[in-house]
Amino acid sequence: MRGIININPEIRDAILESGGDDAIKCYSCGRCMAACPWNLIDDLDYTTYRFCQRIKLGAIVDSEAKEDIAADTDEVFRCIGCDSCRHECPRGVNLSDVLRAVRRILVDYDSYPAELKGVISRLYSSGNPLGESSAKRADWAKDLGIPHFDGTQEFVYFPCCLPAYDARLKLVAEATASLLTKAGISFGIIGEEEFCCGEAVRRVGAEKVFQSAVNNNTRVFQKFNVKNVITTSPHCFKTFQTDYPAFSDIQIMHVVQVLHQCLADGKLKPERPFKKKVVYHDPCTLGRQMGIYDQPRELLQSIPELNLVEVPVFNREFSVCCGAGAMGLWRDWPQDQRLVKIRTEQIFATGADVLCVACPYCLQMFEENFKSMNVDIEVMDISEILFSSLGQ
Amino acid sequence: MDIIACIKRVPQTAEADVKIDSSGKDIVKDRLQFDMNESDTYALEEAILLKEKFSGSLTVISVGTFDAEDTLRIALAKGADNAIRIKAEDFGELDGYKTAQLLKAVIKDLKHDAIFTGCIATDDYYSQVGVTLAELLGMPHASLVTKIEIDGNTVHAYRELEGGLLEHLAMSLPALFTIQTGINEPRYASLIAIRRAAKKEIKVIGKEEINAEDIVSFSSLEKLFTPPVGERAEILSGTLDEIGTRVQGIVKEKGLL
Amino acid sequence: MAEIFALVEHRQGAVRDITYELLTCGRKLATAQNTKLTALVFASPADKIVESIQERADRIIVMEHGVFENFNAEIYQLALRDILEKEKPHVTLIGHTAFGYDLCPALGAEMGIPFATDCLDIEFTGSRLRVTRSVYDGKLDAHVLLKEHTSYLVTLRSGCFTPEEVSLATEVVKQESPVTEQPEYRKFVDYIEAAVGEVDITKADIIVSVGRGIKEQANLPVMEEFATAIGGVLSCSRPVVDAGWLPKDRQVGSSGKTVKPKLYIALGISGAFQHIVGMKGADTIIAVNKDPNAPIFNEADYGIVEDLFKVVPVLKEKILDAKKLKG
Ligand SMILES: Cc1cc2nc3c(=O)[nH]c(=O)nc-3n(C[C@H](O)[C@H](O)[C@H](O)COP(=O)(O)OP(=O)(O)OC[C@H]3O[C@@H](n4cnc5c(N)ncnc54)[C@H](O)[C@@H]3O)c2cc1C
Ligand code: SF4
Ligand code: SF4
Repeated sequence: MRGIININPEIRDAILESGGDDAIKCYSCGRCMAACPWNLIDDLDYTTYRFCQRIKLGAIVDSEAKEDIAADTDEVFRCIGCDSCRHECPRGVNLSDVLRAVRRILVDYDSYPAELKGVISRLYSSGNPLGESSAKRADWAKDLGIPHFDGTQEFVYFPCCLPAYDARLKLVAEATASLLTKAGISFGIIGEEEFCCGEAVRRVGAEKVFQSAVNNNTRVFQKFNVKNVITTSPHCFKTFQTDYPAFSDIQIMHVVQVLHQCLADGKLKPERPFKKKVVYHDPCTLGRQMGIYDQPRELLQSIPELNLVEVPVFNREFSVCCGAGAMGLWRDWPQDQRLVKIRTEQIFATGADVLCVACPYCLQMFEENFKSMNVDIEVMDISEILFSSLGQ
Repeated sequence: MDIIACIKRVPQTAEADVKIDSSGKDIVKDRLQFDMNESDTYALEEAILLKEKFSGSLTVISVGTFDAEDTLRIALAKGADNAIRIKAEDFGELDGYKTAQLLKAVIKDLKHDAIFTGCIATDDYYSQVGVTLAELLGMPHASLVTKIEIDGNTVHAYRELEGGLLEHLAMSLPALFTIQTGINEPRYASLIAIRRAAKKEIKVIGKEEINAEDIVSFSSLEKLFTPPVGERAEILSGTLDEIGTRVQGIVKEKGLL
Repeated sequence: MAEIFALVEHRQGAVRDITYELLTCGRKLATAQNTKLTALVFASPADKIVESIQERADRIIVMEHGVFENFNAEIYQLALRDILEKEKPHVTLIGHTAFGYDLCPALGAEMGIPFATDCLDIEFTGSRLRVTRSVYDGKLDAHVLLKEHTSYLVTLRSGCFTPEEVSLATEVVKQESPVTEQPEYRKFVDYIEAAVGEVDITKADIIVSVGRGIKEQANLPVMEEFATAIGGVLSCSRPVVDAGWLPKDRQVGSSGKTVKPKLYIALGISGAFQHIVGMKGADTIIAVNKDPNAPIFNEADYGIVEDLFKVVPVLKEKILDAKKLKG
């Protein structure tokens, strides 16, 4: 039963201590709530503007009643870290970081959605969220003749987990590697010793597991003296830059940056026409969070006869999340509460033949949802489109 | 009503890559998550629900090393009043029988109207501690329980049998129940309870209090090994009838008829 | 030489399959130890039960009394103690079933007899008993040595021994039951069918799992019949739940249940990773999919590239045939 808010300074202090200090800045204006994609869903009120206030009072997940605790916990774990709110917040509050601080405490006490447990334990023990053997991590590259990185190549290509293992997403890693080869980039892969970047586990509050990912990748990158990294996933791209202290002198590039450079240098020449109407979806992590909007569009525009269209209004920094962030890829919200459906409607309305993405999570979310909504739009990674437009 | 729940901290191996360590008797643990054993979380929840209904106290006990205190704290945060750790490190290799004796040594001096344990631990798979403990304490038990109803002095316990059948028993308290997963929905802890639990004292009992010489085990682990695995992905070809016959053979060979 | 005993398990008047497995295992041990195999029947009525196991043991000890009509661990414990004290068998085998589970540890603790639960195999090494057990969620096996003793109790996991036909000269011995009524503190009341909605796919040995490939809800009954016919339960991928054809608790995968049956038959499931993580622990996976490139074939032990609607009737018939032969 809800009554008057109780004040619990101790809870506040614990949350501030575990990294939620942005909460103090909030003045409850409510702009975040207007920006949050969850509120595009009918009958769902994600009252994001209340989080910080409740934290300042220590009045969050503070009930004694089982049902209330469950409801509160679910809300704390709903945010998928798209940063739409942060982009709008006049006080610069990073709400998903604030919620992460709350999650850390709850995760330590085993109080978090059951769907996440398996993912976290698989990731911790095998280095990838699928629980696949690390011995198979380089299998996708077997027939491509890509060398193991040994310091003589300039770049490490880091495909991250899903493109290394999943049958569909392997095609993205393959297309990327083939493009890089065509462009004459000198690169190798780390394969077996590579570990998930850990971005998603960090967001859900499993800090210990994230640290083990950091330690592992740091050790391996130092061992091979890695200086330049190309990632397929915007999530690795971001977290390597912002959350890996030891990577400060390593250059981390997202594949669209590298390809864009190759285009400018004349190393890539898209010649074959791609006679299709293509809509580009800005992944939250690449766009809003890392500010990369133009390069992918320019890459697409360089392809002959490709007709690039935009989702009206909701493009670039206003792009709507596919719902996969912060382990949303592994969560199951009721059918009428799936963010990907909103974005699908928007994409469908453009009349595009192809949806172009630049993030493996987005690719899998859309492809799977298009099937269930019977939407006949092909989903392709930008590297796949580019690769198909190269001359022989 | 005074209630006791026995819980165990176990490595989460269901989804993990499990490797044997150099001793050949244990697994490599540094990349494993540790949590409360799955069925114990249901046993704990059942104990909390009972306590909420009839009021009284709930004590959680774990035989474990120091880390087990984290798990006990989780139980405190979810609703237990007291926690006791029996120092596993004081008693050498443990089998189910020895664990049950250690629990008995402590529980015999505590008031208890009902005891709850999980029905199986996912690490050693013994599924014997609860029932053994009941016998050592001289109290009736029901194992694999998926529903409990209390009606005056009678407890209706429903045990899960193979093939979708339940065995309905009428019992009296005190009694011990080993709880099957799915009986309830284990709760989350609230932040307020987490803060409270973080400060609670956990009672630790070791060889000073329990005479190790009186505690015997029935079995000892000789070695761990990886079970033989079959080949993957053989595509069955031929006519439908031939394929059907192959499948028939496979099913038979696996003893699945 | 002290004998090997096996406890006959029955329910609602019929002998349970585990009994034949216990007798097979028991004979293996008896032969190795050059001793006899005795089956213990506590039942009422006992005739049919005794008849079902005729020729499978050298001796059958029968206690016939109304209290044995339905299983009650407390009563079995008293009866077994009585016999074990008199006969002092070397090893007593009990099924690792809901019955054995409830009985063996209490009996062992009461009598001070070393016991091992949930064993896959058992052998003597000198005078000690070595058992093989499955540990850590089935990822590893363990050899466990039991403490030196004159008598042991072992519960055996079902499906580890294939019953064999034998024809031994069986002597049937009747004994009085030491118990005549149910104890006040634990009385058997009745058996209750679990509601259909309560099927727990995580505990099933055989699972037939259907995906979007079954096309429409109208095809579900055929799949359900197939599952039931082969003694399994029906589960599914997420689209089937999303469509409302099966309830959420039948969904296998990252946002559904994690299952590890002995046999998992995937029908028209493509093998998305969210699905795979929920079923890759199955012992044997058979996938039916008309697309030879479906990722499910990377995970399956056996693949059938065919229209599932053609395959299902054939599989059903073949498996039922095999069952008939056996029965
Ligand atoms: C956040 C999230 C969580 C998810 N969680 C889960 C989960 O827990 N469990 C889960 O299962 N999925 C989950 N999914 C969905 C998952 O990504 C896949 O979409 C889903 O598993 C696909 O189901 P399917 O294989 O039945 O359907 P499809 O992928 O459509 O596959 C159907 C298959 O049937 C085959 N087929 C069609 N007709 C026939 C025929 N006549 N004979 C033989 N074969 C035929 C086709 O070749 C195809 O391979 C989740 C997705 C997301 C985004
Ligand atoms: S937009 Fe910023 S300041 Fe306004 S309520 Fe949200 S977090 Fe607080
Ligand atoms: S990060 Fe995205 S999902 Fe999370 S609160 Fe902000 S807008 Fe909502």
